[in-house]
Amino acid sequence: MRLKNIAVMVLLVGTLAGCKKTWLDVNTNPNALPSSTPDFVFTNGLTRMAFSSLNPNELGSYYSGQWTQSSSYILSPTIFSYLFTNSDFNYWDGWYDILSDFNYAEQNAAAYDQEFIQGPARIMKAYIYQQIVDVYGNAPYSEALKGGSLLFPKFDDQKSIYEGLIKDLDTAIIYIKANPFTGSGAAADVAFKGNDQKWIQFANSLKLRILMRQSRIAGRDAYIIAEINKAAAITEGFLPAGVDVGVNPGWLATAGKTNPMYDRWAYDPNGATRSLARFPRPTRYLFESLIATNDTFRMKRLAYAAGGENTSTPGVSTRSEIVSNYIGVPFGVASGYTAPATSYIGPSQFVKGQFNKPYYLFQASESMFLLAEAKQKYGSGVNLPGTAQEYYEAGVRESFRLTGAGLANANTLLTSGINEADWNASTDKLKAIWMQKWISLTNFGGFEAWAEYRRTNYPNTPQSASFTGPERPLRLFYPGTEQGSNRANVEAQGTINVFSNRIFWDID
Amino acid sequence: MRKILSLLSMLMLFTVLAMAQTRPVTGKVTNDKGDPIPFATVTLKGTKTTSVADANGNFSIEAKTGDVLQISSAGVASKDVIVGSSGSVNVSVTSTTGQMEEVVVTAQGVRRRPRELGYSVAKLNNEDLIIGRSPQLAQSLAGKVSGLAVFNVNNSVDPAVKITLRGFRSMTGNNDALLVIDGVPQPGSQTMLNLINPNDIDNISVLKGGQAATLYGSAGVNGALIITTKRGKAGRAKVSFTNSTNVEQLSFLPEFQDKYGNGSAYAVGYGQPGYKTDHLERMKDNWRPFENQQYGDPYDGSLRIIGRQLEDGSQNIVPYSPIKGERKKIWNTGITTNNQIAVDGGSENTVFRLSVEDNRAQGIVPKDKSNRTGVRFSAGTQAGRLTANFNAAYIQQNFDRTTHNFYFESLNQAAHIPLSQYKDWKNNKFANPNGYFNDYYNNPFFRLDNERQVYGDYNLSGAMDLGFKINEWLNVTEQIGVTNNTRNRKNTVGKFIYSDWAKNSAFVPSPWEATNDYDGIDRAGTDNLGSVYDAMSTENILNNELRLNAQKDFGDWSTRGMLGFNVFQRKTKFTELQSASIVVPDVYNVSNRQGELGGGEANTMERKFGYYANLAGGWKDMIFIEGSFRYDFTSRFYKNDRPANLFSYPYYGVDVSFVLTDLFPVLKSNVLNYAKLRAGYNKNGNDNIQLYGLDRTFGNGPGFPYGGTVGLTVGDVLPDPYLKPEFVKSTEVGAEFQMFKNRLNLDVTAYWQKSEGQVLQVKVPNSTGYPFLRLNVGDTKNWGYEVDLKMAIIRTSDWNWDFSVRYSYNDNKVVKLYQGVDQFSYGGFSYAQSFVKKGQAFPVLSTTAYLRDSATGLVLINSASGYPLPNAKLKDFGRTIPKHILGWGSRLRWKDLSFAANFEYRGGNVMFSQLGRDMTFTGSGKWTENRDPQRVPNSGYYDANGKIVENTTVNVRESEYGWWVNNYRNFAENFVTKAWFIKLRDISLTYNVPARAVSKTKIFSEMSFGLFGRNLLTIVDKKNFYTDPEFSVNNTNLLGINDTNQTPPVRQYGVNINLVF
Repeated sequence: MRLKNIAVMVLLVGTLAGCKKTWLDVNTNPNALPSSTPDFVFTNGLTRMAFSSLNPNELGSYYSGQWTQSSSYILSPTIFSYLFTNSDFNYWDGWYDILSDFNYAEQNAAAYDQEFIQGPARIMKAYIYQQIVDVYGNAPYSEALKGGSLLFPKFDDQKSIYEGLIKDLDTAIIYIKANPFTGSGAAADVAFKGNDQKWIQFANSLKLRILMRQSRIAGRDAYIIAEINKAAAITEGFLPAGVDVGVNPGWLATAGKTNPMYDRWAYDPNGATRSLARFPRPTRYLFESLIATNDTFRMKRLAYAAGGENTSTPGVSTRSEIVSNYIGVPFGVASGYTAPATSYIGPSQFVKGQFNKPYYLFQASESMFLLAEAKQKYGSGVNLPGTAQEYYEAGVRESFRLTGAGLANANTLLTSGINEADWNASTDKLKAIWMQKWISLTNFGGFEAWAEYRRTNYPNTPQSASFTGPERPLRLFYPGTEQGSNRANVEAQGTINVFSNRIFWDID
Repeated sequence: MRKILSLLSMLMLFTVLAMAQTRPVTGKVTNDKGDPIPFATVTLKGTKTTSVADANGNFSIEAKTGDVLQISSAGVASKDVIVGSSGSVNVSVTSTTGQMEEVVVTAQGVRRRPRELGYSVAKLNNEDLIIGRSPQLAQSLAGKVSGLAVFNVNNSVDPAVKITLRGFRSMTGNNDALLVIDGVPQPGSQTMLNLINPNDIDNISVLKGGQAATLYGSAGVNGALIITTKRGKAGRAKVSFTNSTNVEQLSFLPEFQDKYGNGSAYAVGYGQPGYKTDHLERMKDNWRPFENQQYGDPYDGSLRIIGRQLEDGSQNIVPYSPIKGERKKIWNTGITTNNQIAVDGGSENTVFRLSVEDNRAQGIVPKDKSNRTGVRFSAGTQAGRLTANFNAAYIQQNFDRTTHNFYFESLNQAAHIPLSQYKDWKNNKFANPNGYFNDYYNNPFFRLDNERQVYGDYNLSGAMDLGFKINEWLNVTEQIGVTNNTRNRKNTVGKFIYSDWAKNSAFVPSPWEATNDYDGIDRAGTDNLGSVYDAMSTENILNNELRLNAQKDFGDWSTRGMLGFNVFQRKTKFTELQSASIVVPDVYNVSNRQGELGGGEANTMERKFGYYANLAGGWKDMIFIEGSFRYDFTSRFYKNDRPANLFSYPYYGVDVSFVLTDLFPVLKSNVLNYAKLRAGYNKNGNDNIQLYGLDRTFGNGPGFPYGGTVGLTVGDVLPDPYLKPEFVKSTEVGAEFQMFKNRLNLDVTAYWQKSEGQVLQVKVPNSTGYPFLRLNVGDTKNWGYEVDLKMAIIRTSDWNWDFSVRYSYNDNKVVKLYQGVDQFSYGGFSYAQSFVKKGQAFPVLSTTAYLRDSATGLVLINSASGYPLPNAKLKDFGRTIPKHILGWGSRLRWKDLSFAANFEYRGGNVMFSQLGRDMTFTGSGKWTENRDPQRVPNSGYYDANGKIVENTTVNVRESEYGWWVNNYRNFAENFVTKAWFIKLRDISLTYNVPARAVSKTKIFSEMSFGLFGRNLLTIVDKKNFYTDPEFSVNNTNLLGINDTNQTPPVRQYGVNINLVF
């Protein structure tokens, strides 16, 4: 018995003492990485821009009158009756999340000897911030992205953010010149494969987008001209013909790895039609605008004939590609235009099996149209070598190139003698630029098209058939998520009325 | 030896007793039912020699043959027995104070008499659980314990449940009660709740407050259900057989309209040329033979085609009139059969029990089935000072169900569609996807067959313990418990490629065609390439308890102490493989695919250890005081560079009990025979943080890696470096009364809980770059009271009638959130979400709502279209967990016939039904029946002077479609209803064949037959057209939002037979 007692006591004392704290050392996450080099984060940021541009581009395509929805789905009143609230269209959270990635890449670049990331990361930040301003106005900028150290970032004035972005882009260009891509950089850069020159050109064109957006504000011309001339003085220049900003990490035919636009609106990785292919439809107004200039070339690239793509001969419509088979849907109409009876989004974006096209963030044609508008508006005040007509025609050709409508056809259009197609025949040169830019952004840059529509009020796209009043949304609400977590700063912006609170560059 | 012992004795504040030299006599003290009476005092009459029985009633005392032992214990009549020559004495004593003195099992297996407890404990016995013969434990518990809420969030053959005690404390963490099976805690696992056979359970003690945590550690912070499984009883081996068979039927479906057939918005829209002003004309234009929505023209009995002409030229022409009962006919009658065999027996010192259960269920969703087969074995032996127990179970259950939302699909088929004829889609050309009429939604029976999930759990669990009695007052117990669960799952979707005819040529023939019709079935545009998903998860829990128990009386004082040490480890592994295509049909292997293989894995490991002590004292069996202390170490907060106070934490509890009627005998009267006051306070630590929650992580970005291209994203959560466990402080006071010779028992409790420093993933502005910060910020309050009333109304030899009522009130409040953060959402739908909001009870339901004039309450409309305007923000509609829970039940016995029933009421909360929204979308809901021109009720608009005037003239623009689908449906407040209900939870009528009759069979020793039912009656709010308010989209803290993934509510009834050989 004594022995037993001793045994029990030894067991008891032994076990109590035997547990060391290091036994608890199992708290390292076995499922996720604890750190990353900036290049991987940069790659991810670029790729996420493709994913997160899908929704804003979709909404912009509707609100710029390029797309509407088919009546195979019941009408979305949120979109087409403008019945949206602060819990709809929250692009804010996603954008700031990606900003955080680029910010991490930029700020940790030096520590990891990857300084070449700094410039491109800052360019991408400017690209995103402009989009934030363009739908939300004032937003956190100078106090943003500071993590736990600044939890309630104040909102900067939208105009000052715009000015800050120009400076950011200047800085970015200096960074790139000082730290060209080396080592792993080319692989990390899924837009330009480590081409410093193209990044600088992108920065310059982005500057032009930011500057020209303000061009209708009275008294802003001197600033714009000065900044354009600073950009024009940089030897790399603006995005030239043939150079679009497209993201392609190497899309694969695997679930979640195809081009996200193809995946959303066209086909799954194995080529089965997505049911959402039945949702978006080119508007009747888009087709009417194209037909008005005999531009059936791009119409057949921007849309498939009613019934969609013939999946056994990819790239070609099921029905014969004659104009009468191209059925657009009146904007915001609730009924009578089911998906199979109307045109699908076309082969310029979607061809069965072509899941690996780049996702475009900025087109060369837009760069040309920006130059055209700058030259047309400021003439010799800006040190741009070409004429407005040259830039305009280059823009149209770039659009034909990207849509696959053929260079010869572009020349046909440019010499057609039709208003807003042929420069010389156009009565209002700015409207010609705006119209052609609107067409060139169709399917590719809906978000930009909506911003430009608000800036220029052109072309005169019809009001939604599902809305009774004359007004249209001019911006978005600050999202409920920011409202709930940064209330004082959101409320300092006043009560937002999406039909009357204009972005600062939207003068009328 | 002496040195160690005395050290230990000092530690325990006891002194060593010298041992007597006569021969040891052992025995067991039991009550008249054979249940052990723990800690009875055994005195050698005429001497000072005493001994105290252990928790299981076993005692040992030195005595000689012929000595008289006096057995005494609180609440029992003292009894004398003479020591015989055998050396073993078994004593059965009779209770003097009725039910109240039943022993309850409290934390760490300590058996105590209720009078000693300073907190509220409820006890359920096997007979309480098996009234409704539910194979699921959770369903057997509903409404039976005050403070306990069982949420049957989904029915089906694999029901999901949530069990909480005293409401919600944690905003984002777990609020579920801990399950402890035979001493082994089962945290973070709902599996055992589904697996355990209720009939194997001897009793359940429900520790409602913080007391469980003080001894069970953090996992017990939400209270605990301490389950003791049945043990064998000494005596002749008995074999019992039980069969119960029940059917399961729909108890209610939402109300459907049967006036309008299929149609959608095809009529020319307002403002377009050709717009028709007569809504009946528009309805005619809206009719289409291939529509899923039900906004066509009124049923008129004419013969009309449904769908399009098939490739072989055939047309499916049916009367355009509703088919009565079709909506119900598509659901099956479920059948559950449950067979059990148990064998138990043993000798004086060794007992065993073996039980086998086989449960087979078919649900109301066609082809859904499940089965559960389990074996449980327990054995215990006593050899001198050693006791050893072993208890193990192997249980496997398998499910075969559809992954398809059959309910939703069925709503998309109009009332004249002969849906129940479309089960055979392989041979019936109109049921085949190539010929099925509906353009947008497939034949629900096809999808039911084509989209399957087969999964199962394989569970081996058990516990072993070894006890050693060191001396008269001290024993040591070592227990190891293991739970090992494997879950396999295979989800498959069959491949289906549509015919060219279906894709491009199927047409609507004359005379039913319409302008703008097109050829080809819309849905055929998307081929189904099939898919396979294969996953496996394993969970392994190890729990070790080492306890030293002491028990000794000093004069008027009785004391008891415990020192314990606990080690816990839980390890999980999850792997999955998937492929989004099938090459050769019907072969479901991920290698039979095109494209890339998808997959992933997740592993977790957590470890804890803790030291605990408990000291309880009683004075003259009238005043009791108890204190507990625990010191925990948890891996969840551990890093080798973190200070120890961030991952280890002490906490404690204290409670007192006063038996007033013994302290002040003057209080005793014919009316009141027992009264007790009690109070307790606990401060509990809780390591309520998600696993690996201290790490900032970099995860793969969307789709990454793309071949060789790697992309990592900065994690969304920034953890505070000083994260530490949270603390929950609970205060509880209560009183117990027994009156009218114990005929009436009343137990009242009030409690307050304050949870401080909850680890929250706070939504911070995304503009900081991190959507979430994880830090200790949230404080909540949770309070309520509970009343339990039991009445023995009639007690005669022929009649026995008991009645009991259990009421609980619970409320909570978010006291503190992070500065500047007022609220966050649990999720839901964008238009109906469940929120945590500062200053309010949580969760609170917020939905899209009408814009109303605050002065008049009028719904503001657009005066041109007549349609309502939306409120800019989501509007709060109230809490989603019940405030009031009332259970009441009765047992009635007349001779050999007994009857039992339990009801439950819950209320004070609201719910949102996506089903309502879906049925407005499809136009199948009864509430959409009015399609005539109408105004928005109680509406108003701004007149030309900017004044709000009541609307008496402006109709909604399109009452036959636009009003319902584009407006009414979008105001989610239309589908918010009060969530109160009354249910007849379970009911049974049992006939026990009298012993005289049974004995004549010579085979059986007991025999009974019964009828039983569950949820036979359900009453809900008259505006709740939709479903069972208990349902919810999942069993997380997001309660109160339900949809069509919860199949319609059911009732069950059946027969059972029980035979003992």
